[in-house]
Amino acid sequence: MFTPAPLVSFRSLAGAALLVGLGAATCQAADTVKYTTKFGSKVGITGTSTIHEWAMDGQIIQGFLEIPAGVILDPAQAGLAGAADGKVAAKVETMIPVRSLKSTHTGMDDVMQQAMNAENFPKIQFFLSEMTLHGTHAAGKPIEFDTKGELVVNGTTNKIAMPVSIEAADKGKLKVIGKTTVKMTDYKVKPPAPKIGLGFVTTGDEVKVSFEWLIAPPAAAK
Amino acid sequence: MNPNEVGTGQNDWNRREFLRGASFGTLMMLMGGVPLEAQTNTPAGEPATTSYHTYGPPVSIGLIGCGVWGKEILLTLATLPNAPVVAICDNYAAAMRKVKDAAPKATPYDDYKKLLADKAVQAVIVATPTHLHREIVEAALAAGKHVYCEVPLAANSEESLAIARAAKAAVKLNFQSGLQVRSDKQKHWLVAFIRGGAVGKTIQARSQWHKKTSWRRPAASPEREAALNWRLSSKTSPGLLGEIGIHQLDLMRWYLNARPTAVSGFGGIVNYSDGRDVADTTQSIVEFPNGVNLSYDISLASSFDSDYDMIYGTDSTVMMRGNKAWMFKENDAPVVGWEVYARKDLFYNETGIALVADASKQKAMLNKATATDANFTDSALHYALVSFVENSHLTTTTVADHLDSGFDLSDLPAALAKVAPSRRPAAGYVEGYEATVLALKANEAVIKGRKIELTKDLFTI
Repeated sequence: MFTPAPLVSFRSLAGAALLVGLGAATCQAADTVKYTTKFGSKVGITGTSTIHEWAMDGQIIQGFLEIPAGVILDPAQAGLAGAADGKVAAKVETMIPVRSLKSTHTGMDDVMQQAMNAENFPKIQFFLSEMTLHGTHAAGKPIEFDTKGELVVNGTTNKIAMPVSIEAADKGKLKVIGKTTVKMTDYKVKPPAPKIGLGFVTTGDEVKVSFEWLIAPPAAAK
Repeated sequence: MNPNEVGTGQNDWNRREFLRGASFGTLMMLMGGVPLEAQTNTPAGEPATTSYHTYGPPVSIGLIGCGVWGKEILLTLATLPNAPVVAICDNYAAAMRKVKDAAPKATPYDDYKKLLADKAVQAVIVATPTHLHREIVEAALAAGKHVYCEVPLAANSEESLAIARAAKAAVKLNFQSGLQVRSDKQKHWLVAFIRGGAVGKTIQARSQWHKKTSWRRPAASPEREAALNWRLSSKTSPGLLGEIGIHQLDLMRWYLNARPTAVSGFGGIVNYSDGRDVADTTQSIVEFPNGVNLSYDISLASSFDSDYDMIYGTDSTVMMRGNKAWMFKENDAPVVGWEVYARKDLFYNETGIALVADASKQKAMLNKATATDANFTDSALHYALVSFVENSHLTTTTVADHLDSGFDLSDLPAALAKVAPSRRPAAGYVEGYEATVLALKANEAVIKGRKIELTKDLFTI
């Protein structure tokens, strides 16, 4: 049900635009680089019920990650160039269409969309507020961050914190990976208890959300 | 329109009063069959703690072709909560008048191009005479409408291929061919049952469609006579095998999970010498790999034993009639266990075991006590139209979300493939084309009175 959303939102910082790494990102506004979503993202939501685990998958994460031009998100390089104190003034706004989440069980799509009040709130949104390098980054490893932000589901906004890693993908793209756990009731979503098969299924309040958000700077290949 | 009399769940056999209820049960009991039935998925009488509907948002429908079958489609659509019929079209005013009550809110059109220009129409159902499909389907896809095209797709191979290719190219749209049994829940359950090895090694198959009817419809004028009785002229008709046989031929092709390799045919006009040049009785042998043959008889001159489909195996034989099925076990077949509790019906000298979805559970015992009919009582057409509406909506939203995200159109097929598990079962252009090829070749074999090899290239789109 509710989702994730990628994180990262830095407050703009700075200056000069020495863009290196990761495929020559170009400047959005003179001092920032904007990574936009690319096809190939994954969203996963899993939960429990009285009969078995259930899962929903999606492939749409819309939105962008904007960082100061001086910050180099290059997992191949040690450390995090452009963010000496580990704090990245990033801006992230992401949206996931509720209807794009598909269940592995027949009939659950409609049930979940109704439970999440998709007609009135068709998108799950995430707005990043903080993004801080977690520990030190070794060259060739994913860059790990601790993030905070606001998750909006069913028109209800809650602050969440979530570890996120960024790794290189093909053709200059980046993959932003994260997972967290949320409670449906925190977002005023009543855990569905639909009739399935011969009886009723009660779903657990807590769900696990994971995502792999594929993004690329303007100059990167498709 | 395609008045395909099969697959509606209301076949002749079902309609006979003497075969309904106890009569048929008794008959089956006397012959020893086990009915095969799928269970319903919404047991009544228990309150839900949360309540949701399990159908998606509405998809506005336009129907092109308001004949006998078109009316059946409208009546079925009227039972769906999310399939408003907003437009209907036929170039014969009397046909429009006959269906008016079935779609009272629909805008009437006498030209399909006007209907396609109606922006309120999101999806069209093409139920015109078969030989008129191509132009309409191509225009509908070009107009950005989802398309449900009755089968056969066309009356000849060239036009069928053109339709299949147009559907293949229209990646943003949902195309469904009118092989409605491909959407039938009971049939889906049976596919898994049969392929799961319940019959042992398949040795042969047999199908029959018998109905005493001339196939001729009364017309008000000579001009109307030609238009109305297009099925009786070889210039416009794909014959019995095309108009009727396609459903049973496809059913067996689906169940046997193999593409046929050859078809032989025989037949002619044995009863209705009224000017027609289309056979009223045919016999076909369809060859499948591994020496498995399907023998198939169709006749408009005899109603004996109505219609059925049978798959014979070394462990058991499965018989399907309408939306019911039975299994007849061999004496040396292994005992699975659940059949001990299943309802038994007699059929001639054989005992049939009613096949019920979930029969391996104690559900079988419940059905033994209560079931006299199949659990899935909706018609195959109902399931097919549900699939069309839901899949059209799924396609629309997936395409919109994909393009709204700024993704390339070239990635759209991959995006649609990822949501494919959420699609309701339905025959697409591939199944529709392959079934059409098989039916047309079977009809050709009857006309030529010889065997026709079904080479792989025939099925290539």
